[in-house]
Amino acid sequence: MQTEATPAQADVSELDLVKRCQAGDTEAFDELVTRYRTRIFGMIYNMVHSEQDAWDLAQDSFVKAWKSIKRFRGHSSFYTWIYRIVMNVTIDWLRKKQVKGECGEFDDAIQLKEIDPASKTVPKADALPYETMKRSEIRARIENAIAQLSPEHRAVILMKEIEEMQYHEIAETLRCSIGTVMSRLFYARKKLQNLLKDVYENI
Amino acid sequence: MRTFEQKWTAWLDGQLSGSELTEFEASLPDKAAAEAEKANAKKLGALLKREIGAHGLANEEFFSHQLRERIARESARPSRERDGGVSTWWTIRRLLWTGTASLAVFLAFAIFVMHDKNPAEQSQYLTQILNARVDPVVSPNATISMFEAKEDRVTVLWTEGLQSLPADYAAK
Repeated sequence: MQTEATPAQADVSELDLVKRCQAGDTEAFDELVTRYRTRIFGMIYNMVHSEQDAWDLAQDSFVKAWKSIKRFRGHSSFYTWIYRIVMNVTIDWLRKKQVKGECGEFDDAIQLKEIDPASKTVPKADALPYETMKRSEIRARIENAIAQLSPEHRAVILMKEIEEMQYHEIAETLRCSIGTVMSRLFYARKKLQNLLKDVYENI
Repeated sequence: MRTFEQKWTAWLDGQLSGSELTEFEASLPDKAAAEAEKANAKKLGALLKREIGAHGLANEEFFSHQLRERIARESARPSRERDGGVSTWWTIRRLLWTGTASLAVFLAFAIFVMHDKNPAEQSQYLTQILNARVDPVVSPNATISMFEAKEDRVTVLWTEGLQSLPADYAAK
């Protein structure tokens, strides 16, 4: 798994930072946040499809990580450990949202389509408006398709395909067996293939 | 023992090898269709990675700033709660003291009032009558009514159908 650490940051080992955090050093924690914030935000965004919710959930996850960092024993990497927190926070939030019967995903997708290309990313100089629109539509289709998966299936497919995590890492993060990860991947892929067949076949 | 779904996933991700791979591929009814499916799964993975893989975080520094502020607040809260806990403890202790004192005052007042309301000289005669027993065999139809005027400190017992006076009373 990649991190956004710069060479200078990489000089300080993750374990050292964790130990400093455990001693109450908030600067060390800030360093860890800087390393992982973008990846964690991106992962949560792909789960919830809302910038604001992803922001809040990422904040909640980091606060939770800070509060429980003393319990981190180093049996797994810090990234796997914090990912577990992120997944718990996000899946719980999605479940609560499902129970409440809120259906914000579709609205979020429309909002993203209308606002995101200009506000969030800087379009390349050679990107034509038509291409930008087409990509936004494709992204909206993908997000709609992912929104139809259960929180657990979303988590598994995103960790495998986007984060390129191994089965055992996903299993460790979600606290389930490798067999469960593989089964969830099977069903998640099948569903996405059905929903996005025309998209990936025409690109 | 892996299920078909698990084996299929492992096969798609290139995680099957050796005899397991040979056995699985041999078990496929249509290998060409399976290979096409595998290619589709790869396309799907590539599409996801390309289109939603790099979702940037705008205002990264503000994100960290907000988080630092929140952690500082969260870290400060326990000490305030500790202070609050002490004051709560004092409140509980004060409540206990107040409760105990109130109970003591109430008991003292109740004892005083009861003592005052039951002077020995007033109830002496009445107690004698009430303590006496009417024998139901001797006086089966006996009825006793009591009339009391507290202001005048007078009690009247009205008895009917009494065949004989209770032995205790008669003896007095």
